[in-house]
Formats: sequence, structure tokens, C-alpha cells
Amino acid sequence: MAITQTNFETAIGAACILLGAGLGFGATVISSEAGYAGVGPNFLPWVVSITLIVCGALLVWQAQHGGFAHREAPEGAIQGDWVPFAWVSAGILINAATITTIGFILSCTLCFVFAVRGFHQSQGRAGSGLSGWLRDAAIGLSIAAPVYWMFTKLLAINLPGLTATGWI
Amino acid sequence: MDIFNQLMAGFAIAITPINLMWAFLGCVIGTAVGVLPGIGPAVAVAMLLPITTKVDVTASMIFFAGIYYGAMYGGSTTSILLNTPGESGSMVTAMEGNKMAKNGRAGAALATSAIGSFVAGTIATVVVTFASPFIAEHAVKLGPPEYFMLMMLAFCTVSAVLGKSALRGITALFLGLAVGLVGMDQISGQVRYTGGVSELLDGIEIVLVAVGLFAVGEALYCVIYQGRESETRNSMSKVHMTREEWKRSWPAWLRGTAIGIPFGTIPAGGSEIPTFLSYATEQKVSKHKAEFATVGAIEGVAGPEAANNAAITATLIPLLTLGIPTSNTTAILLGAFQNYGIQPGPQLFQTSAALVWALIASLYIGNVMLLILNLPLVGLWVKLLKIPKAYLYAGILIFSTVGVYGMRQSAFDLLLLYGIGLVGVMMRRFDFPTAPVVVGLILGPLAEAQMRNALSIGEGHWSVFVQRPGSLTLLIVILVVLFVPNWLRRSKPKAAG
Repeated sequence: MAITQTNFETAIGAACILLGAGLGFGATVISSEAGYAGVGPNFLPWVVSITLIVCGALLVWQAQHGGFAHREAPEGAIQGDWVPFAWVSAGILINAATITTIGFILSCTLCFVFAVRGFHQSQGRAGSGLSGWLRDAAIGLSIAAPVYWMFTKLLAINLPGLTATGWI
Repeated sequence: MDIFNQLMAGFAIAITPINLMWAFLGCVIGTAVGVLPGIGPAVAVAMLLPITTKVDVTASMIFFAGIYYGAMYGGSTTSILLNTPGESGSMVTAMEGNKMAKNGRAGAALATSAIGSFVAGTIATVVVTFASPFIAEHAVKLGPPEYFMLMMLAFCTVSAVLGKSALRGITALFLGLAVGLVGMDQISGQVRYTGGVSELLDGIEIVLVAVGLFAVGEALYCVIYQGRESETRNSMSKVHMTREEWKRSWPAWLRGTAIGIPFGTIPAGGSEIPTFLSYATEQKVSKHKAEFATVGAIEGVAGPEAANNAAITATLIPLLTLGIPTSNTTAILLGAFQNYGIQPGPQLFQTSAALVWALIASLYIGNVMLLILNLPLVGLWVKLLKIPKAYLYAGILIFSTVGVYGMRQSAFDLLLLYGIGLVGVMMRRFDFPTAPVVVGLILGPLAEAQMRNALSIGEGHWSVFVQRPGSLTLLIVILVVLFVPNWLRRSKPKAAG
């Protein structure tokens, strides 16, 4: 099934309506204790909720009637490249999953290697075997390590390490 | 005289070796992020926000300001040499600058934009120096109703007036406001939308949203849609202007500056409108009309570049005197001030006078540094353009991790970062503006507090907003800003006659 532009735009509008409705649902449990102001902490949540629902509805309407108004043609290819996207996503998510256990330097290097792999694939360049992976890892390491040292040693900002030495 | 003394005191702080070092570092990083495609000043400042926990406030504000305007210098280099603008304010420079570069005059285009940026930046800094204390003095008299109206004005211009579609602009703004709702309410301390997660009590970090939308979103967008695009680079030539080119640049710089400053000052931010206006003006008054869009006219680079820098520098006026950000980067600078527990506004000139004046003094120093960094050393920056895209974006992901993780030490934030990045991809693909999200997020909670304080003053009556002359005037300005451009557009044939 091909996902058309109209469907996509409608989905975005629908997402706005959902978000608005969710905020509205959440607003019902916020206190309306108003004091002298006459409006309490639940006032803005309601305004945001209702506005998002209205905006979402208008977006859906526009999507169904010739598409979003004055929308410029997006930059880049018409069809997305999803396999490279998966590589980059994997890089970011692996980073999130491992940073506390293997430390900043190693997890960022992993993220770097995966992301580079994704970008190379999106540029139509085939993987260049083990040497390519090693080279990317070396480059990633040479970016992540100095950044880590700069933050932990110079600025004394906590970043997770594999050891407690602050060097790796 | 008083201003002069305070400025001198500011210089005394700004020229201490440590502050000079921060200013220089800011200018270098700023120029680099300006030159590099895919990363702008807003996200660079956001990524470096964790330093606010350790570095002294004056030093870090000097550093961030250096990044902010350094990026404007660097951005023009990219837009002249590469066929894609480095950052949005350089769009117009890209049009003429590219034509000049294609005809072997890249050097002259780079020279006029760097010197023009210097001239405009310096003049605008003089305006900041003299106008800010004056505005602050008067702004002290503003009460919550007026502040609320000023913030509404900023919301309206950034979301409804500047973009292509008011609907998408407003949607983006309210998305930002929605994110800003998370956490503890400023006035009553009521907890909202945290879902019981204690990490969310302080709200969602600006770093997370800015880095997610601009850095991760950009990287993902690029890998999904722009992998096959190949960039063409124009060749460099000697950075030099002939006497004739000087003569043509000067008036354009000054006109650009005059156009840029007011646009930066009013809460209607963005440097796109003044650059386009300046371009149109230059085209109209030029004696070399045939060169525009053909071989490239030097005025078409000089004017918009000056307008861009003047506007960017002047955005510091509403930021410092009113606490109102009018662009992505100033919104994040406001966040930086807040990290120190400082709320920019008219009182800033009294309570933190030393900080403000050191910051202003550093603008003068920074402009000189940037002129040197960008004229004789431009060749170095050009080398940055040779970094392969894969390494550039993968490196940006590492820096994103530092910024986000360094702020709160939470791996959960990294997951959120990815989610916000996906939202960023969608917004770019479907032509939603991102600036309203950031401005809404930062300014939303402040505006809410002002609104509720105003209503308290009015004892719960909304009429407080029309009974006070100041707030009524601002309300009228808002209505004018909202409806007049529309009305002009509709009645264009008549208005022209």
C-alpha cells in the first residue's frame, strides 16, 4: 500500500488533535485553584489543548482539500532511504542504551560507526569491509575521547565512564 | 557620560585574559558552526549549555554571544562557496555571492561580506550600547499586563506573521507551549503533565528540544532524503576588493545596517526579512542592475550581509532589556541566563550591570576578532567544507550526546532526543517552522506567569489588558501586525496605486 501525501498530512493533523485531546484529558486533573487571578494553573493547559485540537482539525481539512496551504516542495529526494535511516537510528539508540554501562567514549564511538555506515549507504557507497569499520571507529574514538576529557577534566562536568578514572 | 564609564568598566572585565580567551573560543566555534552545513548557532549554544553549571556567568555569556554572531560571519563563507546556505540568514547572500564566485570573484564576495559584517556589527553594537540603557530605564515602568502583551507580540510575529502558513506556525508555537507546560507551574507550584516522573518536575530541558529538532533532526533528514545529493563547490580566488568594489560596497553596508537594526530590535525577530528587504533595495538603487542574478553584483552581497549582522546584533536589545527572545538563538541564550538564576529584563542593567556591560564590550572585541578570523584566515575555514558529510553528521551526533547527557545525566533523555529528532524530520518535511517551538517553550511559562500576575492586578478581570494605556497600545500593535500584512496582500493592486 502506498502511503500518499494526503494520508501523511491527514495523519499529522490527527496527531495534533490527539495531542490536544491528551492535554485536555490531563488538564481535568490539574487544580483550578485561582486565587486573585481568576484563572488557575489549569487555564493555559486548556487553551493549549483546545488550540491544538482546532489546529489539528484545520490541518486535516487542508490535507483533504488539496494539501497544506502554501507548502513548499520539501528538499531532497521524493522517496526516503529507510535502510540507512535504520543504521543511524540504531546508532543513536545503542548510544542511549549503553552509555551508562560502557561509558561515554565507547558508546559514542559505536554511535559514530553506525551513523557513518548509514550515511555511506545513503550515498550509495558499499561497506568497505573490516578496514573501513576500523577506520571509522578510530575516527569516532579520536572525536569522542578529547570531548570526554575536555568535559570531565577541564570543565568537571559528569559524563559516564567505563572506569572511574575519568580517562575512559 | 555615564554610559561611557560603564562601557569602560565593561571593557575592563572583558579584556581580562580569561574572558578574552572565552570570547576568542566563542568566535572560533561560532565561525566553524557557521561554515559547517547542518549545524547552526542555536544548536551549538544549546549543546554547550552544560558549561553553565561550571563556568562563571560573565565568561559563558561572552562565549555564547561569540558563537551567536560568529556564526553569521561563517555562514556567508559557506553560502558563497557552496551552493547551499550555511544558515538561514545567508540565503540571500547565497544568490548573488554564488553568481560572483562562479565568475571567479569569490574573493571579493568574501571580503565584502566579512568587512560588511564588521561594519554592521560594530554600528549595531554602538546602537545596543546607547539604546539598551534607555529602553531598560523606560521598561522598568512596564507591569505584568504590558509584559504579557509584549510576549504575545513576539508569539504572533514569530508564528503567524513571518512564516508561509499561519496555521502551521501557530501549530508549532502551541507544540512548544505544550512542551513548556510540563513541570512545575511558576506561580502556584502545581505539578503538570509529569506523569509522576520526578525528572520532569523541572520541565523539559531546552537543550533537549533544540538539539533534537536542529541537530538530530537535521542528521536524520539528511540521511533519509539527501544522501544522493552531491554538492558543488566554487573555487576560491584572492580575498581582495578593488577600489571600485569598495566604492560600491560602502553605501550598501550602511543601507543594510540601517535596514537590519530596527528589524532586530522589534520583537519580530529573524534576519530573513531584513536581508530580503536589503537585497530588494540594492537591486533598485544599483547602477549595475544588469549584474544582478547574472554575473553577481557586489552590492547584492554587501547589503544583505550587513543587514543580517545588524539584525542579529540588535536582537540583543529586546533580549537584554525586556527578556524577550525573538529568534532561536536568543531563546536559548535566555535559557542560559535562566540557568544562572538570572532573568533578563529592565532590572538586569541595575542588578547585573557588570555582566551586561562586559557582554556589550565583548561584542566590540569579538567583531574585531571575527574580522581577523574571517579575512586573512578564510582559507582555513574553507578546509572545513572538505569534511565528508558522513563524518560531519556522525560527529554532530557525538556532540549532541554531550550536550544532552551533560545537562542532566539521564540516558532517558537520549531516547527523548531521538523522538524529538523524528518530530524535527517531520516538521522539515511538511514545512512547519521550528523557531516558534523553541520560542514557545522558553517564553510560554514566562508569559503564563505574567498573564496570571496581570489578572491578579485586575482582580480577575480581563479588562486589565485594555484599561492600561500601555497594554492597550501593545494590543493594538498586535492587531495591526496580525491583520495589516494580510489586508495589504489582499488589496495589493489598489495599495500600489
